[in-house]
Amino acid sequence: MRVGRSFRSVAGSPRLLDSHPGDRRELWTESVGDLPPVYGERWVEAGTRRLRHFEPGRSKLAAAVIRGWSGDLPAPGERWLYLGAASGTTASHVADLVGPPGRVYAVERSVRPFARLLSLAERWPNLRPLLADARVPRDYASLVPPVDGLYADIAQPDQLGIVVANAELLLAGDGGRLLVALKTPSMGRGRSASSHREASEATLAERVTLAPSVSLEPFHRGHFMVGGRWGRSARLPSRPSPRLTPPRGRRRGRSAR
Amino acid sequence: MRPTLVVGNGPNLFLFGSNGRRVVGPFPVDPDPRRAAARFDLFGPEDVPSPLLAAIEAEGGDPTVLAAPARLARALAERLHRPVGEPDIDELRSARATLPPLEASAERRFFLALGRVRLEEALRSPEEVLITLAREEERVERSVGREARAAESFVAVPGSALERHLDTWARARDALGDLEGELRHTLESEAKRLVPNLCAVVGARTAARLVAAAGGVRPLARMPSARLQLLGSRRRPSPERGPRFGVIYRADRLAEVPVDRRGAYARSLAALAAIAVRVDATTRRDVSAALVTRRDRRVDDLRRGRR
Repeated sequence: MRVGRSFRSVAGSPRLLDSHPGDRRELWTESVGDLPPVYGERWVEAGTRRLRHFEPGRSKLAAAVIRGWSGDLPAPGERWLYLGAASGTTASHVADLVGPPGRVYAVERSVRPFARLLSLAERWPNLRPLLADARVPRDYASLVPPVDGLYADIAQPDQLGIVVANAELLLAGDGGRLLVALKTPSMGRGRSASSHREASEATLAERVTLAPSVSLEPFHRGHFMVGGRWGRSARLPSRPSPRLTPPRGRRRGRSAR
Repeated sequence: MRPTLVVGNGPNLFLFGSNGRRVVGPFPVDPDPRRAAARFDLFGPEDVPSPLLAAIEAEGGDPTVLAAPARLARALAERLHRPVGEPDIDELRSARATLPPLEASAERRFFLALGRVRLEEALRSPEEVLITLAREEERVERSVGREARAAESFVAVPGSALERHLDTWARARDALGDLEGELRHTLESEAKRLVPNLCAVVGARTAARLVAAAGGVRPLARMPSARLQLLGSRRRPSPERGPRFGVIYRADRLAEVPVDRRGAYARSLAALAAIAVRVDATTRRDVSAALVTRRDRRVDDLRRGRR
């Protein structure tokens, strides 16, 4: 760890920290698990806390925070449902954000990524892996208790339908948080990315009070973070949006495969 | 009168009585988390705890019984000798919200056990075994090639420290070669069992790689032949000069075709392979002889310079 680096909590999420080496902004989450790193990320110790680098090029949630996402983030003690957890890169950070009293129920359908998610869950105490199809929330409705938030990162053309079906059944109720990493490249090539975004926001707006969506360029091409709180008249968090840092070109992050 | 509702939270079942949503339970399915997890997906009539049946009977009258998930409803219907329905989304939601949460460590044990059970179950099917084998074989083949190339360019100066590790290295290479041979043998016999027609057309190893690249026999059978031809190719399709081959480049008899006609052959071969895999995925009739004849005729035509 370099001397003099200071870490500050990001507004709204005490276990998410940032540092400003040079003119860059780096994000860190306070780990609930032990070394070794989950996917080769950097670890540092700051006082009694162990922090894991939260890289925008690897994780859409980190990219959203860097791009100035002003909606909710997973907070300590909350229960989150994570759809499309794959091998657990971002899921491990969401688990960090909700901390030891919180829970992350991570749903993944593909077998081979799930094997890695399972071995991650064996050493990440608050991560609950679930080999299931997010299209059929009833199949796991008797396992997952009502959750405070839902994070979805699913490469399916009808990803919004899947999100809404899960939210209806499993979200604790009005005011439940919703974070959707919108993947326009898997939503059909007939329309542009921004028209997909507008159409998706219009669909969600029928059920959700939306926070301003952000584009995840240049970290993830054609991706947006949309979301807000369940219910048409839910109150959004009234905190100032975090300090905006202009993205620094393609140098730092590569687009997801 | 409201229906009686039976809902689980994983290892336990609970009963919501018809009068005022009183929660009765828990009724543990099995005290051991691993066994409870194994039963979760295979829940049958004999797994219904008898105290739960007694509690349902004690509700009195003739209340409608609803249960979720569907497996539980079926099992209960069989034990109660009357129809058991599935709750609608609101009933399920409100029941889940009133259930006492599972204690953290019990919940963790249950989820890990269920994940392990489901993972093993999913990987057990012959299709997944073939996919695993194909991926392993491809990886080992690559490292055998890499080691052989490294051995060619490695000069061991006599009498130096370099010479000393040659023997061990050669033995490691032999062992790797044996592993590759063994894997290929298993892979080919598994492929011939699962997709016999496809194996006859493109060869067992290519067939296995095609199945692995598509993620299964059914997904492969649903693909148009143009897509099958390019499965596993690294280049992106483009109007100017797209790829002509993917996995299919290693198919039987492709090497016999003149280089400038291989694209044409790959196209025809993909069409035949698509037919073969569709038969393998559906009727499983043996159509290999006819397809192989058509393939060989095409090879001969292309070698003689006919279109």
